[in-house]
Amino acid sequence: MNILALNSFQILLLIVLAMLLVGSVVATLRGWATRREGTIWVALCAAAAVVTIWPKLTGRVADALGIGRGADLVFYCAVVVMMVGFWVTYMRLRYLRRELTLLVRRIAIIQAEETPPSTDLEATSAASQRPDPKAD
Amino acid sequence: MTPGRTTSPNELPSEVRAGAFIIVPAYNEGTCLTKVVREIRAAYPNVVVVDDGSTDETFEVSRGCARFSLRHLINRGQGAAIQTGIDFALQRGAGYVVTFDADGQHCVEDIAAMLAPIVAGECDITLGSRFLGEAIDLPTSRRVMLRLAVLFTRVVNRVALTDAHNGLRAFSRRAAERMTITLDRMAHASELIDLVRRSGLPFREVPVKIRYTEYSLSKGQSSRGAIRIAVHYLLGRLMR
Repeated sequence: MNILALNSFQILLLIVLAMLLVGSVVATLRGWATRREGTIWVALCAAAAVVTIWPKLTGRVADALGIGRGADLVFYCAVVVMMVGFWVTYMRLRYLRRELTLLVRRIAIIQAEETPPSTDLEATSAASQRPDPKAD
Repeated sequence: MTPGRTTSPNELPSEVRAGAFIIVPAYNEGTCLTKVVREIRAAYPNVVVVDDGSTDETFEVSRGCARFSLRHLINRGQGAAIQTGIDFALQRGAGYVVTFDADGQHCVEDIAAMLAPIVAGECDITLGSRFLGEAIDLPTSRRVMLRLAVLFTRVVNRVALTDAHNGLRAFSRRAAERMTITLDRMAHASELIDLVRRSGLPFREVPVKIRYTEYSLSKGQSSRGAIRIAVHYLLGRLMR
């Protein structure tokens, strides 16, 4: 395949993909992303690049899978990848929120402020700040 | 259930009142917190205000009136605030834990009615019910919404309660130890009912009075908010 046969849109796409690919490799090497995450990103970029350079390839794969048009195959794949991506991100966000709550609650308890008791009842309660034996 | 029963705080032994921790979750309640806390504190010394990351002066106000003031550095929702209060109370040796809304909709006299059956050993958890008791100046739209919430509870939580979302609740120490609220925001009310049911501990509803004021209504849930809460709760349940 002659590289000059690519149209400008394909070249633009390839540049973006190349940047993403280099970015993921660098991020993985510097330890910003795990090896697994890096591999997934590189594989996705590479697959997108292959499909960009040889668009007809998708048509053949789609034929083999009985999907019809190549563009449909790309579309289906993109939807699945995006859904998985959203799901993973959403779950991480949930987890992060939970962790944040635990942290905020712990700090609140550690930094609790107490004003001294001001009435008789409060004074007796200060003395009875032990677990209630009946309640166990 | 004993509708219409009235118990004055003085009927509870003073060691019960001294061992009861009243948890007041507060989010931007600076304007009327002092009044609410002072009222409670006159009968129950251990008032724990949990400021849920308010943007107003709630925490400063709390320091001036509550026995214990706790602050969430970041707003995490009422469920989280209640859980913080429960953890703190247990850590301080609470014999009983009561949750009490900061907006002044509850009556302090009702706390005694909530605690009485627990102190008597008849049950471990009491849940306030405005429909067994009295709902003063409750607008119709809010009434319909609360009825729907009850229906929701009956279907989803499989518990027949007359009022699913009342901020006034009381727990024995062992019941409080079994409460671990994981849903941060308002969906915790439904989650709490689940926790109550699954704790296997006896619970009952106690009639309480709710005062609807312009202020408490403005802090309550809109109907749209209620739907959001229901969805949030169901999602949370699916993912447990």
